[in-house]
Amino acid sequence: MWWKSLSVLLIIYALIAGLLIPLKPGVAYVAPASAKAGQSIRLQVHGYNTFYTSAQATDMRIWLQYDDTQAILGQQVQIISDTTVEATFELPAALPRATPSVMLNVIVDHPIDGVSLLPSALEMRADTAATAVAANWTKHPVGQLHVVKDVSFPYRNVIYESIRNTYYHVPMWFALIFMFMTSVVYSIRFLRSQDPQDDRKAIAFTEAGLLFGIMGLVTGMLWAHYAWGAAWSNDIKQLMTAVALLIYLAYFILRASFDEPEKGARLAAVYNIFAFATLIPLLYIVPRMFASLHPGATGNPAFGSQDLDNTMRLVFYPSIIGFTLLGCWIAQLRFRQLKLEGKLLGID
Amino acid sequence: MKFFQSPRFFILILFLSIHLPLVQAQGNRDFMRETGKIYVVVGVILLIFIGIVWYLIRLDRKLTKLEYQLNDEKNEQPN
Repeated sequence: MWWKSLSVLLIIYALIAGLLIPLKPGVAYVAPASAKAGQSIRLQVHGYNTFYTSAQATDMRIWLQYDDTQAILGQQVQIISDTTVEATFELPAALPRATPSVMLNVIVDHPIDGVSLLPSALEMRADTAATAVAANWTKHPVGQLHVVKDVSFPYRNVIYESIRNTYYHVPMWFALIFMFMTSVVYSIRFLRSQDPQDDRKAIAFTEAGLLFGIMGLVTGMLWAHYAWGAAWSNDIKQLMTAVALLIYLAYFILRASFDEPEKGARLAAVYNIFAFATLIPLLYIVPRMFASLHPGATGNPAFGSQDLDNTMRLVFYPSIIGFTLLGCWIAQLRFRQLKLEGKLLGID
Repeated sequence: MKFFQSPRFFILILFLSIHLPLVQAQGNRDFMRETGKIYVVVGVILLIFIGIVWYLIRLDRKLTKLEYQLNDEKNEQPN
């Protein structure tokens, strides 16, 4: 069947492209991470995936930025290695805002790597409660940045390379919803036709959906352990998917608890409709009403421009199609096994 | 061959795949976090693979049972 080959091809493509396309250059951290107003500091910037030595130090610019108009330009830029660069900053005597301390972003502009940034990289503290706002914050606003267009994935702090999990963890949930959707269609058809073939298809697709759910939950826990610090942090999406998977687990328990398979099949079909009706609020409505560690909780997760750029889409969407078709394949195998079993036991 | 289809084999694979990185992590505390956390991606792909193989093993056992039943029925029929 052509779609089976397509599923394998798409998954292989997602594995190769998803693992080999490099991340954009980024700033991992700076040292020191805090300084006092009025000080002159030698700031060391540590890059990730950067090639600082590919350009002259005089062409590189480093800013400590407060906002669009207020920034300090680094002097005496010195490139130490591909991932380390130093610059001297004369911090003004007063902060840009009348508070005890401000967080400054570091912006590095490189002619070949392009621009990279670390938000809230350096904490600048005032000696005394600052009152006057210094004028020399606006002398060198950030501008004339090099924008490099190439095929690369976004650099995100804390996540780093594990942003690639978007192509393997997230499609599990897309495949899950397609599997459960197909299964509920067959359950409705079974209730109308009483054809055991429809019921078998519903079983097969529910099983495939549950498999994707378990894989999604486990892979999510592994990712969460390294991105959020704990495998299980009672995030609203984690809780709701766990509830949804338990509801679908009960589908099989319910079916097995009947002595007459026909009665069990009918009840399981009705239960499947209710399970799907609860799945939608559990996975798509409730998580949007609460704060979540997952990205994109306020909009459409995995579709917003904040979480996905166009290069990521080129890998992400084929991966979803690939894993969904793989799920159909798995379900089809299980359906054929159930059909044979029915023939052998003479149920048909 | 039976061993490869038993749950014990599956648990062994699961244990090794989770335990080995942890053992290495003890020697080098940041094994999973170094090189930009790329091993988290490797772990995720591995877990998906294990999940699919686990399902295959289950299906394999169900088909084996069907084959046995089919053979039993054939044996009962007179030639």
